[in-house]
Amino acid sequence: MTTSAPPASVATAPAQPPARRPRRTGRSPWFHVVMVPFTVLWLLPLAFIVVLAFRSFDDVASRGIGALPASFTLDAFTEAVTRGDLGRALLNSGIVTVITVVLSLVLASWAAFALARFRIPFRRTVLLVMLAGNLLPPQILLVPVSRITQSLGLYDSLAALVVVQVGFGLGFYTFVLHGFVRNLPQEVFEAALIDGAGTLRTYRSIVLPLTRPALAALAALATTWVFNDLIWAMTVLRTETRFPITAALLNLQGGYSTSWNVLAAGCLLAALPTALVFFAFQKHFVSGLLVGSDK
Amino acid sequence: MTVLERTPGRSGPRSGSGAGSDPAAARRPGPRLRAARRVPPLVWAFLLVPLAVEMFWVFWPALNSFSLSFTRWRGVGPAEPVGWANYQRMLDDPVFATALVNNVVWVVGFGGLSVAGGLALAVALNRPGRGVGVYRSAIYLPMVISLAVTGLFWRVLYQPDGLVDRVLTPVGLGGTAWLANPDTALYAVLVAAVWRQVGYIMVLYLAGLKGVDASLEEAAAVDGANAWQRFWRIVVPQLRGVSTVVFAVTVIDSLRTFDIVWAMTRGGPYNQTQLLSTYMFQQSFSLVDLGYGSALAVVIFLLAIGFIITYLVRQARAED
Amino acid sequence: MSPIRTAHARTSRGPAALAAPSRRSFLVAVAAGLGSSAVLSGCVGSGGTESAPAGGGGASGGGGLVLQNSIQDEGPKAALTTLVEEYTAEPVTMNSVATEQFRAQLSTYLTSPNPPDVISWYAGSVANTYADQGLLLDVSDLWTGDGACASFPPALKALSTSGDDAQIFVPTNYYWWSIFYKKSAFEKWGVTPPETWDEFIALCEDLQGQGVIPLTNGIGTTPWMASGWFDYLDLRVNGAQYHRELLAGEHAFTDPEVVAVMDRYAEILPFFHPDQASWDNQQAAVPFVQDEAAMYLIGAFLTNYVPEDQLDDLDFFSVPVIDPSIPSAEEAPTDGFFASAGTADPEGTKAFLSYLASAESQAQWIAESGSANLPTNPDVDTSGFSPLVQKGIALLAGTEEITQFFNRDSSDALQTTADTALTQFIANPGDVQQILEQWQQAAEAVWSS
Repeated sequence: MTTSAPPASVATAPAQPPARRPRRTGRSPWFHVVMVPFTVLWLLPLAFIVVLAFRSFDDVASRGIGALPASFTLDAFTEAVTRGDLGRALLNSGIVTVITVVLSLVLASWAAFALARFRIPFRRTVLLVMLAGNLLPPQILLVPVSRITQSLGLYDSLAALVVVQVGFGLGFYTFVLHGFVRNLPQEVFEAALIDGAGTLRTYRSIVLPLTRPALAALAALATTWVFNDLIWAMTVLRTETRFPITAALLNLQGGYSTSWNVLAAGCLLAALPTALVFFAFQKHFVSGLLVGSDK
Repeated sequence: MTVLERTPGRSGPRSGSGAGSDPAAARRPGPRLRAARRVPPLVWAFLLVPLAVEMFWVFWPALNSFSLSFTRWRGVGPAEPVGWANYQRMLDDPVFATALVNNVVWVVGFGGLSVAGGLALAVALNRPGRGVGVYRSAIYLPMVISLAVTGLFWRVLYQPDGLVDRVLTPVGLGGTAWLANPDTALYAVLVAAVWRQVGYIMVLYLAGLKGVDASLEEAAAVDGANAWQRFWRIVVPQLRGVSTVVFAVTVIDSLRTFDIVWAMTRGGPYNQTQLLSTYMFQQSFSLVDLGYGSALAVVIFLLAIGFIITYLVRQARAED
Repeated sequence: MSPIRTAHARTSRGPAALAAPSRRSFLVAVAAGLGSSAVLSGCVGSGGTESAPAGGGGASGGGGLVLQNSIQDEGPKAALTTLVEEYTAEPVTMNSVATEQFRAQLSTYLTSPNPPDVISWYAGSVANTYADQGLLLDVSDLWTGDGACASFPPALKALSTSGDDAQIFVPTNYYWWSIFYKKSAFEKWGVTPPETWDEFIALCEDLQGQGVIPLTNGIGTTPWMASGWFDYLDLRVNGAQYHRELLAGEHAFTDPEVVAVMDRYAEILPFFHPDQASWDNQQAAVPFVQDEAAMYLIGAFLTNYVPEDQLDDLDFFSVPVIDPSIPSAEEAPTDGFFASAGTADPEGTKAFLSYLASAESQAQWIAESGSANLPTNPDVDTSGFSPLVQKGIALLAGTEEITQFFNRDSSDALQTTADTALTQFIANPGDVQQILEQWQQAAEAVWSS
């Protein structure tokens, strides 16, 4: 539960940030004393991966992965790109992620609108059932899902990967958006009704614009999930040229031996797009967004 | 809590939660009430299309799998019905017992630590200030690396004389083979998983905190409430919506945790870090015993449902 | 990038659905899916009928083949890629999938209505399971007359034969397990390879006295490495015949024979690197490379872990004899390919398998992969191979019995029981009796299922 301030302010003046809190005196100086070492410690594992990515194979093989670097080379990055064919894998991941995220959010916002704003019988149960779908351990769906894609002739196509992931994410997105849509101010909908707006127009001119912050936040979260998915990709794809980045990374890991420096380089390249998406959407996260502000 | 319900400035009473009732509409009979009673066909389409997609791609395969839990099936050939045998087998399976206990530890530890850590960091980093953006980004950054890869690299960090060892030796905790020691292995994996999850929870709470009405806190401060009281009595209740989402995400993620454990320990040493999900994967795919694997999946599903329903029902009661 | 990657004629009907990813076409797809529920009735576990050859993507002969493989290591994969590119009869699409995922998808591949034609795998239990279900192509003609495998040793033929006496497997290479060491290091420490078990123990004590860790191993995420020593000790104490019978369930892990094996294992436990439980088998090679640990019982794939300038320094000796009355035996896991019974083009598939099995292909693959694998084809001219590989060939030629490895000689399920028992034993050797009892219990469950 929350105040109505953010949605209301969005409705009247979308650019306005939410209720401003009164200015207070600055933080205690201890804040940075604690946060700086904490952040450094937090980033150490990532720093380790970065350092590893610039080492040579012989350096890693003879001195160990954990050793301090004795070499500096970009070879690992070149090798990751050529051997792992990361370029195409990134493209595959990009296509799948964009389409999946857009489709998921469109469908989820439909369902959320319907469930939150109309007296659909058993709407609460329907919502819970949809959420329950997300509680299934995905591993158990693997075998049936691959059989289904085969019988539909979708097996081994990016389209299969998209529909499977759309289906699997819908419950959670609908659940979050439902909370958001339900909390939109009643007046706006009444006004629309008086204007004679139909369902479609209400959806387009009220629901979509007003839920934009929530959609942005979900888009960023969904992107990290879909982009980092491995298990569905392995289930419905078998042709290497269609593999997404996660599967390509896995192939960089040897069966018997691993070139750790190449794996590290590949993993950094693979992380870039999600990092960029996050930083692009960060504003939406932090300025006045209320993910599922009320249930 | 009750004070908040009557706070001026809210857009009327909160929407109710009882099935079929909608206090907002009930109290304000008007055009909407009439409209709401008659659900337009397009709205049905809005609901049924997504629902059908989920039914088809999630529930239908799930039913298939659940029916497999009553069979013995090797992935090829016909499945042989065996009744409840797979479930009976769990009762005398020591690895299942270990995995179940580990899963409870995992849900509590992983869920508790990432929610507590994420909330604490969100509160600490909520107010803008110098360096706050950097801290936020730094804490979120691990999230961009996939779980499997996180596990791979953390395994290296934990190796003897690895980075973890070097950081901990000055404080007297060096020399432990974190992942090889059955007493520490599960917790070592847990730390890595929490490391990746905290930033995510923090982001959710940061978003939630933006909606917290600051004037209430001010008023409480004037009334002499200390920071701790203000946080628990005023901020936390207002975060309830976002907490529901966090709770759902946490339960889902902790029961589904798989990649990171698999990459770090494969459930070892000698099954001591086995979770239900890793054990299920091992049974279903390494050993291709899909009947038993499916039965384990049913258990995971029931646990998840149990947690979430309990939480939602309690919440619904608190609201009524 | 390479011609083989772009030639996926047979499997490319999928993306069409993605070409127009509009909402409408998506809805159509969903509607079609919902409408065709008949397709789905009993979509899993309903028997092998769906796997009947369905004509694939309409291609028959010359339309291209699909080679699904789990070869991930850089050198071997590159060498196979070259081989496939040079195959001229028809285009072949090669898909490499990470081993674990490959294992998980194997039954999906084989039961698919349009299965990959050729699949990489190893000889042994798993292949036989699929053969029993009629999912593997009968390649017996390759093993007779002037077939590509006709001249292969009888032991390999036996390995490639399924329950109903048909050959379903084409072995293309194998490798040996032994105790590897570095010549320069042994020289530095003034020691020589042992001949007998007592000499081996004396060597370990000597090294330990010099501050060198005698043995390394990595049983962390690769717990199966612990079975290497178990297999060899069983082969040396009880012999290959007993070992096979034990794995087949004809003896118990609580037998005095197995207790004797565990006694030997306990004898060498103090010589292992204390960090072995934290490492995988590749990490365990680092102390070996750095002369911190002296010896490593491992397959010849060790060459993949060692920096290039140390490859010539590698040497090995067979696990020393414990009981001279027991026939000699070595472990030599065999890798190769099988084909799907559902292939649309059995003749083309067999032609391609023959190509992979031919002496020229094998020689080229071994030369280019830089691995220490051995050819299965006796016609391969081995004179150009490295001294290490030559010695490996001689080792296997001179031994009386050949086994593969614990999991290949039994099953992956039994391997899991061994992993649990042996890693537990290594951590707590005092509990051996209880551990063996639990092992036997777990193994009985596997044998009876």
